[in-house]
Amino acid sequence: MKRLIFALLVLSMLLAACAPKSEAAADFDINNWDSVLEAARGQTVNWYLWGGSDSINAYVDNFYGKALKERYDITLNRVPLADTVDAVNQVLSEKQAGTDPGSVDLIWINGENFFTLKQAEMLYPDWAQKLPNSALVNWDNPAINLDFGNPVDNLESPWSSAQFQFIYDSARMGEAELPRSYAELADWACAHPGRFTYIDPNGTGGFLGTRFMKGALYELSGDAAQWQKIDQALWEQYAPALWDYFNEIESCLWRNGETYPQDESELVNLFANNEVDLSMTNDITGAGRWIADGRMPETARAFVFDNYMIGDFNYVAIPLNAPNKAAALVLANLLLEPEFQAAQILPENGFGLGYAIDVNRVTDETALAALQESASKLGDAATSASDLAKSLVGDSAAEYQNLVQQGWLENVVQK
Amino acid sequence: MKRLASRLVRVGLYLVLIAPLLIFIAYAFSTRWFFPQPFPTEWTTITFQRALHDSRTFSSVTQGLWIALLVSIFSLIIGFPAARVLGLREFRGRQLAWLLLFLPTVIPPLAIGMGLNILFLRIGLAGSIFGVALAHLVPTLPYTVFTLSSAFARFDENYEYQALALGASPIRTFFTVTLRLMMPSLTVAALFAFLISWSQYLLTLLIGGGRIITLPILLFSAASGGNPATIATLSLLFIAPPILVIALTARQLNQHGNLIKNQF
Repeated sequence: MKRLIFALLVLSMLLAACAPKSEAAADFDINNWDSVLEAARGQTVNWYLWGGSDSINAYVDNFYGKALKERYDITLNRVPLADTVDAVNQVLSEKQAGTDPGSVDLIWINGENFFTLKQAEMLYPDWAQKLPNSALVNWDNPAINLDFGNPVDNLESPWSSAQFQFIYDSARMGEAELPRSYAELADWACAHPGRFTYIDPNGTGGFLGTRFMKGALYELSGDAAQWQKIDQALWEQYAPALWDYFNEIESCLWRNGETYPQDESELVNLFANNEVDLSMTNDITGAGRWIADGRMPETARAFVFDNYMIGDFNYVAIPLNAPNKAAALVLANLLLEPEFQAAQILPENGFGLGYAIDVNRVTDETALAALQESASKLGDAATSASDLAKSLVGDSAAEYQNLVQQGWLENVVQK
Repeated sequence: MKRLASRLVRVGLYLVLIAPLLIFIAYAFSTRWFFPQPFPTEWTTITFQRALHDSRTFSSVTQGLWIALLVSIFSLIIGFPAARVLGLREFRGRQLAWLLLFLPTVIPPLAIGMGLNILFLRIGLAGSIFGVALAHLVPTLPYTVFTLSSAFARFDENYEYQALALGASPIRTFFTVTLRLMMPSLTVAALFAFLISWSQYLLTLLIGGGRIITLPILLFSAASGGNPATIATLSLLFIAPPILVIALTARQLNQHGNLIKNQF
């Protein structure tokens, strides 16, 4: 027995000796950008981001990966995730184990995942507005300084923007047939039974489903702005109308609303295989990325209602125990570079989401020209910029997310 | 007539076995294959080429093979003595030992993985190939021990005594008698360990922490995007090594003096 204990002791000492020595933290001062660049040289930045789209993966490797290497001598290690929550769990496990430095340098994040890490105090603080390119971001815009209603607090920096839209197949439907409001959608759905469905708001890709429902809430109440603050009385006033709306269309839906697609990908499959006539997306390029990925027919087109199409931003954040913070800062700054912002919205580059920067703040004339040119080349599969701008509204306060999801289960599914 | 029927059944069975593979191939090399087209109309090798040109694909395959190889070796080294005692000896607490060894098969891997991850992070094993291989031992060991111990239950120790009595050293006895007799079971046990390790997703993800990226990790992240061409391509790459390993080891497997292939 004694020998066993001794052996275990030796073994554990050996294992402890293998522990990675904490690297001397590279010295940099975030207020002196040159020192950040100097510290980042030769580092590898471990960027954890959802890896489910080939075209997004290729865009990240070909654009940021190359530029980081050539300009800053930084190696990009893109870690593909099946779900961003995996990166969050990794950081939380590292916190519990007291591991510093950890393994995650940068996470593509928003909403609940951001909130979780913020609450755990595992986000590197006070950096987003100190990036040189942060001057191009309109931080006064509540859609940017609030992430799902949660203050960003300088803990994350925007990468791109998105806006809710619908997709139809121009080979199957004419433009004149398209519904242009939730009221028209209900009529259209019941005139074409089984040809419409929406994404389960509680499914894995539920953010699109809830966004679709919140748009209906805006239209039924006749105003979007009042939903930016949580107001229980207001909710109770309009919630019954919301449930009525969804109960009414339920029997007209695909499979009579007995089941719903769980995420965007499932809805895209139904759409592409001609089971339903409308799909949904957040991409500024509309159907562009799906066509490039071979998931939709080339005749797919995006469209919006006349109003209440919710838009928002997505971000990158640096964990508190990130091993290569300097390189992560350089990458976050690179994402906001006008040149790459102009590249990310072009459908042929495969990313497909919109600008995070405010074009009006760009003073460099060539950069401005490139941004404006990109915006004019979104392709046939995208909604026109003027239609997008006309219908754009902000997201509601974060509390409504849960109310809509829970209420839908209780008042629509179980009825 | 009877021969014809049995041949038909045989061909039918082969078809059932090979059909999923054919569908994978059809998806991997086509695009925009939508209902109601019965067969793909647009064939392309773009997805396959992209996968082959992505340096991540190659490194994920080699990392996965390395880990699976390490796991096979470790499982045999740990499993062999355990199986020998469990298969050949009666002792108090034997049932308890069995239970302990089989617990990992009933405990959800998430629970094991989360706990192991924090432990491994503390002792600095997380994020290394060695650490991931150690974690893979948790699900592989029950199968190796079970395979080997049932072989040991049929093992006649008198062969070893005979060799010793004839003057062979214990080491020589081990290599020329014990290992020789156990070879087919050792191969099967190593194969199990290899296959289980090769297809591990959750433990690799948790312990690897993003630094160890094997093919299942790429596959799951592709599956979350739902692109059938990418999923099918990665799946084809995923099943290639196991098929190769099985094809190679099938020749080595020797049961009751017959090669497995002669039994059918």
